[in-house]
Amino acid sequence: MSEENTTHRPSELLAALKRAGVSVVVSVPDSWIGVFMEKVDEDPDMTLIRATHEEEALSISCGARLGGARTVLLIQNVGLLTTGAGMVCLAQRYQFPILILASYRGSPRDPVFYHIPKGRATEPVLRAYGLSYAVAEPDSPIGAQVERAATSAEEGAAPFVLLLDSEDIRW
Amino acid sequence: MSESHPTREAYYRVLAEYVSAETLVVTSLGNASYVWSNVCDRPENFYLEDAMGLALPLALGLAVSQPRKRVVAVEGDGGLMMHLGTLITVGSVAPRNLTVLLVNNNIHAASGGQPLTNTALDLADLARAAGIDKAERVASLEAFRTLLPPALDAEGPSFLVLATEPDIPPVKPAFPMNPPMMKQRFMDAIGAPRYVPAMFRT
Repeated sequence: MSEENTTHRPSELLAALKRAGVSVVVSVPDSWIGVFMEKVDEDPDMTLIRATHEEEALSISCGARLGGARTVLLIQNVGLLTTGAGMVCLAQRYQFPILILASYRGSPRDPVFYHIPKGRATEPVLRAYGLSYAVAEPDSPIGAQVERAATSAEEGAAPFVLLLDSEDIRW
Repeated sequence: MSESHPTREAYYRVLAEYVSAETLVVTSLGNASYVWSNVCDRPENFYLEDAMGLALPLALGLAVSQPRKRVVAVEGDGGLMMHLGTLITVGSVAPRNLTVLLVNNNIHAASGGQPLTNTALDLADLARAAGIDKAERVASLEAFRTLLPPALDAEGPSFLVLATEPDIPPVKPAFPMNPPMMKQRFMDAIGAPRYVPAMFRT
């Protein structure tokens, strides 16, 4: 086990966002995400926008990025299913480099009966969108993975999705 | 037939008198963008094509990241109904620099003129209920000339519902719109940082 695995991964994740210069976080909550949202909200260098729907949140993220702010969309993976039209007609068509952090509910590591259908659909849907994505590796430092994901979004001029486990995001 | 209202273009010609380089205008899909490109093309415009219902949330994000500039969102009534929750988000975030111009023609113009799900709503009332206090209905160019300047100077979000004659046939835009190029033109105009790939950084 690496040294970082003894650390608090959500804290590392938040620190990585700050190092990347993220100043706007747009979110729709999930039970894994809720406390992390509060930490963002308390941070004087970051603005948290609480949206009502993930597609709306994606568009707010694109607007903030249009204005020059490094922006993160923080949602549950079900939101990746509900953002479809905005993802292809706005974020991808206009080439917005949005880092999307999504809790990966219903994955093999989260076998909750009502999450499993979302988990089953998530990666096929991302591939259908043509989005680049990664599943966070539990035995690697999360901060470096977030930095690579943010860089991938910027270098690729496109959204990039990092799918997170409970240990990565649940404070 | 109900009373006639100003056209979209007529409202736009008034708006064009009041925009400056410090005014960022986001227009929704179809004629909302195409007509504005003919009336007042400028680098500080961000034109949406398609992405129905997403002009207002995009303008909200822009207002948050550009707090020193006035952001004007031109959204349609059908688009607003598609993402009505955005009204609540705007009311909650309450950016001091966002002005919403809602084109209220009671139809889905871009898809051929189908009636909206509910044409009896008072959309200004709806905005006020969502927390946007400065919300007014406008039914004439004279009223627009009176209400637009304070809406653009308002400390807090402002919301004008523009009763508008429907314009269903698509208007030819001033030029073919290339989304990434439009985005970059806009970002260059406002001085947003341009990303430099890592291998080209010195």
